[in-house]
Amino acid sequence: MSLDILDSRRTAAPDLLRFGVPLALALVLVVFSLLAPGFLTLSNIVGVLVNNVALAAIVSIAMTLTVASGGTDLSVGTAVDLGSLAFVSTIIAGQPVWIAALIGVLAGVGTGLFNALLIAGLSITPFLATLGTLFIGHSLQQLTTDGGNPVYVPTGSIPPALAFIGHGSVLGVPLALWLVAVLAIGAWLLLAKSRFGREVLAVGTEPQVALYSGLPVRAVLAFIYIASAAIASIAGILISANVNAYVPYSGNAYLLNSIGAAFIGTSLSRTRRANIPGTLLGVLLLGFVSNGLLLIGWNFYWQQVGSGLLIFLALLLAFTGRRDTA
Amino acid sequence: MSLESSFESSLAASQALHLPRAGRQAPPPEAAASAPGLSRGALAGLLRFAGLLALLAVVAFFAVRVPSFLTPGNIGLILSQSAVLGILGLGLTLVLITGGSDVIRGGIDLSLAGTLGLAAAVFATLNQAGYGDAACVAATLATGLAVGALNALSVTWLRILPLLATLAVMNICAGLELVLTENTTVPAAAPLIDALNLAGPFDLPVIGLVLVAAWLVLAVTLRFTPVGLRAYAVGGHPEAARAAGIALNRYVAGSYIVAGLLGGVAGILSVAFLNAATSGSADMLLPVIATAFLGRMFSRRLVPSVTGTLLAAVFLGALANGFQLLHVSSYWVNGIEGALILAVVGVTSGLAQRGARP
Amino acid sequence: MRGLVKTFGPTRALDGASLTVAPGTVHGLVGQNGAGKSTLIKVLAGLVAPDAGDIEVGGTPLGPLTPRRAEELGIAFIHQDRLLVPTATVGEALFLGQERLGSRHGLWRGRLERRAAGLLDRFFGISLPKGALIQDLTTAQQQIVQITRALLADPKIIVFDEPTASLSRREVDHLFDAIGQLKAHGLTSIYISHYLAEIERICDAVTVMRNGRDVAHVDPRTTGTAEITRLMVDRDVKDLFPRHNATPGAPALSVSGLAAPPAFRDVSFTLHRGEVLGLTGLLGSGAKELVRSLFGLSPARAGRIEVDGRPVRLGSPGAAVRQAIAMVPEDRRAQGVALALGMRENMTLASLPAFSRFGFIDRARERLRVSQLIDELKIKTSGPEAAVRTLSGGNQQKVVIAKWLARQSRIYVLDEPTVGVDVAAKAEIYRLIARLAEQGAAILLLSADLDELLGVSDRILVMYRGELVSEHIPSETTSAQLLAASVSGTRAEDTAHVA
Repeated sequence: MSLDILDSRRTAAPDLLRFGVPLALALVLVVFSLLAPGFLTLSNIVGVLVNNVALAAIVSIAMTLTVASGGTDLSVGTAVDLGSLAFVSTIIAGQPVWIAALIGVLAGVGTGLFNALLIAGLSITPFLATLGTLFIGHSLQQLTTDGGNPVYVPTGSIPPALAFIGHGSVLGVPLALWLVAVLAIGAWLLLAKSRFGREVLAVGTEPQVALYSGLPVRAVLAFIYIASAAIASIAGILISANVNAYVPYSGNAYLLNSIGAAFIGTSLSRTRRANIPGTLLGVLLLGFVSNGLLLIGWNFYWQQVGSGLLIFLALLLAFTGRRDTA
Repeated sequence: MSLESSFESSLAASQALHLPRAGRQAPPPEAAASAPGLSRGALAGLLRFAGLLALLAVVAFFAVRVPSFLTPGNIGLILSQSAVLGILGLGLTLVLITGGSDVIRGGIDLSLAGTLGLAAAVFATLNQAGYGDAACVAATLATGLAVGALNALSVTWLRILPLLATLAVMNICAGLELVLTENTTVPAAAPLIDALNLAGPFDLPVIGLVLVAAWLVLAVTLRFTPVGLRAYAVGGHPEAARAAGIALNRYVAGSYIVAGLLGGVAGILSVAFLNAATSGSADMLLPVIATAFLGRMFSRRLVPSVTGTLLAAVFLGALANGFQLLHVSSYWVNGIEGALILAVVGVTSGLAQRGARP
Repeated sequence: MRGLVKTFGPTRALDGASLTVAPGTVHGLVGQNGAGKSTLIKVLAGLVAPDAGDIEVGGTPLGPLTPRRAEELGIAFIHQDRLLVPTATVGEALFLGQERLGSRHGLWRGRLERRAAGLLDRFFGISLPKGALIQDLTTAQQQIVQITRALLADPKIIVFDEPTASLSRREVDHLFDAIGQLKAHGLTSIYISHYLAEIERICDAVTVMRNGRDVAHVDPRTTGTAEITRLMVDRDVKDLFPRHNATPGAPALSVSGLAAPPAFRDVSFTLHRGEVLGLTGLLGSGAKELVRSLFGLSPARAGRIEVDGRPVRLGSPGAAVRQAIAMVPEDRRAQGVALALGMRENMTLASLPAFSRFGFIDRARERLRVSQLIDELKIKTSGPEAAVRTLSGGNQQKVVIAKWLARQSRIYVLDEPTVGVDVAAKAEIYRLIARLAEQGAAILLLSADLDELLGVSDRILVMYRGELVSEHIPSETTSAQLLAASVSGTRAEDTAHVA
């Protein structure tokens, strides 16, 4: 006996909740600027953006794409690392930086292609497919670096272009932030404005309906996972340029926060969809909280606890009034 | 006998044709009626042994190549090396049983590795502060229970997606661990630790026996009490469980709490094994997930099971140990684990698509 | 149960229906879809509270029923849905939640299985493969397990809701034997079925429902199935079906020698512009699979498909959509409309290229077209941005059709388009079908509702065991003839005596 009469209870969450994350961010800014005098200074804010936010933002943008398509990409960190590894190796081999960057992104595309094959080709759940990729990527890094030793670009021969990617500015704004802006606008246009974004939305929320409307479901998924890994590999290139080295497994540090940011970001949308502005707010919130806690004298360890609690509260906010997830 | 023949006697009004709605393509009547799941059963039957065969093949391979592989000492070593992973895997298995196999919406506990780290830190810190074994153990287990309870609360009462709720809890655990250890290795020495490192009956180290004991308790509970039956029903077909009058939330919450408790136990074992609480417990997360999912391959029904998880943990332990003995780079281990996960999931999802739900 | 009234929004599902069942009898309940049978049963199960009317058991009036209260009163339900854990064994599924009944003093799996086997043998005389999992069983076997489960609770009144829909004849015989035994033990059964021959065979009394009311109480031993059928059919139904006045034009879709073994083989037909071609067949006849293959969902393995005279390959839904083929799937809520999306997003989903410029979506154009479609199809909604979730079933179905109108599809494959919508919405959908035909669209309508097929189609094809067996002209055909062709593959001239 069908019970469809009984499930009319699904009500949209009150619109008030959409302001939860912006409000939390505002509150964080106000509280910390009162508690820590150095917090609301230009140099601190630029420092937070460059050091805490930029790389996390790029990885989170990649994550948002896959979350919007109804999945997750646990191997974003692997794409970061493989991008970094390919980039640094090519530079050490004496190739120009732009070719190295291209090879780095291609390494990301390769990682994405592997995921796409598993997810779109073999219909494996994204969570487990990308988990497998993560493991294989880990092995790959161990094998190429003799168990996880960093690979340094020799100090004497650092190309100027590499230093520019790592520390340069354009019009007074650090290059990393330009990159974040370009990627964010690009991803936002793709998800929110483009025809492809609509297809992603349909595939992510109602894959069956998408199929029954003639949409190329597999191709959409394949593209999303390739794009996600390619974007993540850009973060890998930035990291390497920053430290003139490839440090194995450094990408995984961004994984959990990027998932957190993408899901915190969904609370910004009336229909709880993954969206780029929300993700960026999530990244900012996490970045400013850890910076603020640092400035008021909490050590790194308590910052972890603080940001964990914060993610928890944000989730609570995002899920309150949501009754259709069970 | 075909399905239609029963209709032949029933010439009636036009409505006779209104048939039950099939979500999927209905199987052709002949196949459905004459071969009750035989072809599928045979294939599944083969796969049900694939996991065990793979384990035996690996053991045989190492036993032939390395004579010392099958000595009691080495077996004990494998067992104690697998103990922490195995105990955490058992915890995750419980969560998977009551949560169902859908990774995003179903049950998952990402906080287990964090619980392990926090529990180990609690144990070692209290030990350093001069507390006795009983107090240390009690506080450590209480820590695990508290983390489990927080997860349970978030998932059942607050209805946060398990993936996200346990992710946040994991961050909190990792932070608290750092607060306690200040990112240093906290040594620990206690009679209990010595006792755990001793060889017990059958020359097996006590740490390994704790894993076996935990498995035994869970396996017996799940098999010989209604709890097991109901827990699988809660995860496998929640509507059926609800229709049978089972309180779903109680089982889901219970699985997270017991998983947290097992995280506490794993913390004590890890301190005993390393004689210290060390950082880096977060690296355990993915192997734990791999273990619980690989465990499905050892189950006759391709579902998560505690026995399967135990075998999977030992399997991975034997793999790492054998490579070590063969002087093969341990760098391959992760890659092989990854490939195994993909193979298992590929096979089971293929089977699941074939074995259509009613 | 007396004078029950229940309204859902504008729909009056129950309109003063009464049902009186004598203790210790098997009572049949028959009626068309939408006659109110299932709502009546939901009231009895405590799932739906009636707006008016009362319920008595054993002469004592009862307050409003809850599922729990119904259970306490010993009312058990056997539904079409099989609520069994797929990865459980038969014994486990049977005793879930009442494990003590299967194995006292601890849970012994072997004991559960033996006891389950004993019960299945006793009630139905069948034995299932040892150690079989529910997912390995046929739907019929699962149904038997489900019925046995209900019997464990030792109920006083058992409601069977279409229990035989997926059973073989031997299993049906066992079920009827079991119902006979229940009756001998003084239990009361309420038996709902579309198969009047079954009703005739086991029921002591029959209540016929129509339009939310009980219209007749008959004794099946003295009243023939033909008479019961007449009582069930709503005479007003003829007004439901508007005839379109288009004359079929050039062939739009022609299929020859199409095969996808074992589902169907050697299917050939031609569908013309401005034509409504009906298609019907029982579960397993291959009609459903044929329709799916025409939309590229499970492509045919052999044969030729031509659209507008050009041979095409329909390898995926995308390929079908490119050929201007539209699909209205049966499972509307899962496959037809995207409940999580808004009206606008739903309606343009199949025609995004038409609403985008340089890869970006032109929302203004979208809104304009969607507003037009809402007006055109008279969809009751607050506007283009409204959530589809909030619409009624009929309006949701119109959204699906609007999606394909926006695509300017020329061939429409409709799979049970009126399942689960009320009579008024049905009439609107029929008018829509007629209008599509008048505008030159070619329509293939798969339906199990024979009145519907006779009412709206120009021709009707019948499939039986994977083959097209006959073609009928509605004006020269009765629903009984269609039914005969579906159940036996023959074109019976006079079906009154076949039973």
